Amino acid sequence: MISIILVPLGFYYVNWSKSGEGAGLYSRDWIPDAIFAYWNPDDFYQPVKSVVGVFKGEDCISCHQGVTPGIVKDWQASRHSKADKKVYCNDCHGNDHENLHLPTPKICATCHTEQHQQFEDEKRFGFPSHALAMERALDAKHFVDKPKAEVTACLQCHSVATKCDSCHSRHKFSAAEARRPEACITCHSGPPHPDDETYFNSAHGQLYLKEGDQWDWSKPLKKGNYPAPTCAYCHMDEGKHQVADKSIWKFGLKEINPLTSGNEIKRKKWITLCADCHDEKWSADQLRIMDKERKRTWGKLYQAEKILKDLRSNKKLFPSVEQRPPYPGDEDDSLIKFERIGFFEGQASAFYNVSPIERDYFDMWYFGNLGAYKGSAHGDNSFVKKWHESMDKNLNDIKIKAEKLQHSGKRKADTKIIKDIWTKGEYTEFNRENN
Amino acid sequence: MKIKLFRGYFLVCILSVLSPQLHADKNSIPSGNIDNKTCINCHEKNNPQLIKDWKNSIHASTQPVTDCISCHGKNHSNSAATARPDKTCIKCHGGDKSPEVHSYTSSKHGIIMQLEKNTYDWQQPLRQANYRAPGCSYCHMHDSNHNINSLSRHSLMDNKAADNNEMAIRSVCQNCHAPRYITRLLINGENMLEIARKKVREGTGLIEQASTLFSESELQPANKVMQEMQHHLKNVYLGVAHQSPDYQWWHGHPALDGDLLNIKGIISELYRNKDNHKP
Repeated sequence: MISIILVPLGFYYVNWSKSGEGAGLYSRDWIPDAIFAYWNPDDFYQPVKSVVGVFKGEDCISCHQGVTPGIVKDWQASRHSKADKKVYCNDCHGNDHENLHLPTPKICATCHTEQHQQFEDEKRFGFPSHALAMERALDAKHFVDKPKAEVTACLQCHSVATKCDSCHSRHKFSAAEARRPEACITCHSGPPHPDDETYFNSAHGQLYLKEGDQWDWSKPLKKGNYPAPTCAYCHMDEGKHQVADKSIWKFGLKEINPLTSGNEIKRKKWITLCADCHDEKWSADQLRIMDKERKRTWGKLYQAEKILKDLRSNKKLFPSVEQRPPYPGDEDDSLIKFERIGFFEGQASAFYNVSPIERDYFDMWYFGNLGAYKGSAHGDNSFVKKWHESMDKNLNDIKIKAEKLQHSGKRKADTKIIKDIWTKGEYTEFNRENN
Repeated sequence: MKIKLFRGYFLVCILSVLSPQLHADKNSIPSGNIDNKTCINCHEKNNPQLIKDWKNSIHASTQPVTDCISCHGKNHSNSAATARPDKTCIKCHGGDKSPEVHSYTSSKHGIIMQLEKNTYDWQQPLRQANYRAPGCSYCHMHDSNHNINSLSRHSLMDNKAADNNEMAIRSVCQNCHAPRYITRLLINGENMLEIARKKVREGTGLIEQASTLFSESELQPANKVMQEMQHHLKNVYLGVAHQSPDYQWWHGHPALDGDLLNIKGIISELYRNKDNHKP
């Protein structure tokens, strides 16, 4: 009986919460920046009304040759312009200039059905996934909370879910370009996912850097076609448009059991793939070495997490949750406020407005851990070493700071000045007023 | 809008008709190695605007001066094609790993350039999307404009400086991108940078306020973080300018958030200790 009432109520609530000016689960809490139209066209794009008329493909080309010559040259170099039945501008954007649209994956799927199905199919593996990347960004607490001009940075990469040109750059949409590792690195770089550096440092990457320009990139990503594997060769083998089906350790933000039957199947898939060049036992050993590295990392992370949770139980974190701005979203949502520590409490959004020791843990978890993971996964031992040293330093800092905090006596700092330091100031107030 | 576009198109037509006459008489092109003086003397007669632009640019006042030879080499043949590729700029601008360069090379423009640069005809002038991806010179020296200052945005902390070159920058982007997209991107970028400045000003304000109560040595750790903050602000600036999400975000905003909370942590600790030590 209760479920008869609760289930429809739940549906109603989710639909209501998704019907705001923004998008996603917290759409009622934020207003999009105008640029979002281009990163998430399905939700935000409105056509430009400056040019009136209904045009044929040839008309688009002849006018845009003068207006935006770059995109016309690109199209002319693309397969779209060379097909028996040319794929013109209007085939993807529409004919009516006052009602043009941006091509989303659904539109590309009109012709590229198989690739789109593979891309959509990725959703069943859950996060992380290209196909779910936009949802992931929009539903993140810090995305909802922070000023939208700031978090535009997120959407530029998370729009891999909403536009195919993240990898097949417009208007050439080249498969050969997307096969090359560089196509991935605009997003797969930087502290939490140094896929670029770790791959280029690896033996595979070194060979690519040396010889890659000479390889024939028009060939599909199949056994025997490339002398060394690249991002896409391994993660999108056989040209399959999804990257999640073999992922064992996923994003690396929580510990998983690498030995479940599901993960053993994934492991076999990796070994089969590596067997293009490597002996089965050798490949299996490499994967076990990675499991060991992960275990070592999680040993360190749990130590840090425990120290922080102890400080929290003893009410020694400074500033405490009462002295600083609320965890993103808590202002409206949460009756009981507490410092968020660890993956399951929402650590991913706890990188601002937290105490220095909590941020040390964030750095250790998000940068050290993930740097070591990618070093380990891509065969770059220098990165594993570098980031383990960094985690050791973070852990040491955390221990020293915790020692001081444990002996800091009664929290006397409820004085106005401490609260002002943490809750006032130009950015902090701007953030509170703008999301 | 249509009038503006027409005007732009008209200008391009005029320029392309005139451009052969802007070049020196073929017979007078020197052969063998030449020095900077020779370049200036000749081009001042044949193309005074080019020399004037260079003299107004920051290149003319660097130490040592970034002169014609620095980019074009000593040999006149092929000198334009020698100067145009990114590697010419990169050798002075910090090398491949500097934020100035890496924020570009990791952007979509940069990766397309990396993959296609060997297929480009570098004899082509830097205009009309003659190159599929814009390199350093395509944007910052568009249409052979030798005053790079006029195609750059300068000030890290001052948002008023941003408007000066906007029209010139827009016209470059417009070779490939739609006007509304450019407008929104420029506004968004300016706002994203201004938010980064807010973080820096908040940190600076806190240190200044605390300096009335605490000694320089007590505030030294906070000032050290402030130096980091300046680097991270610059990363946002470069990320916005070169369209690198990684520099806008991971090397930029969350790094600034960490700096700001560390400054707050250091200063609130000072206040707390002071409080606790009161008799």
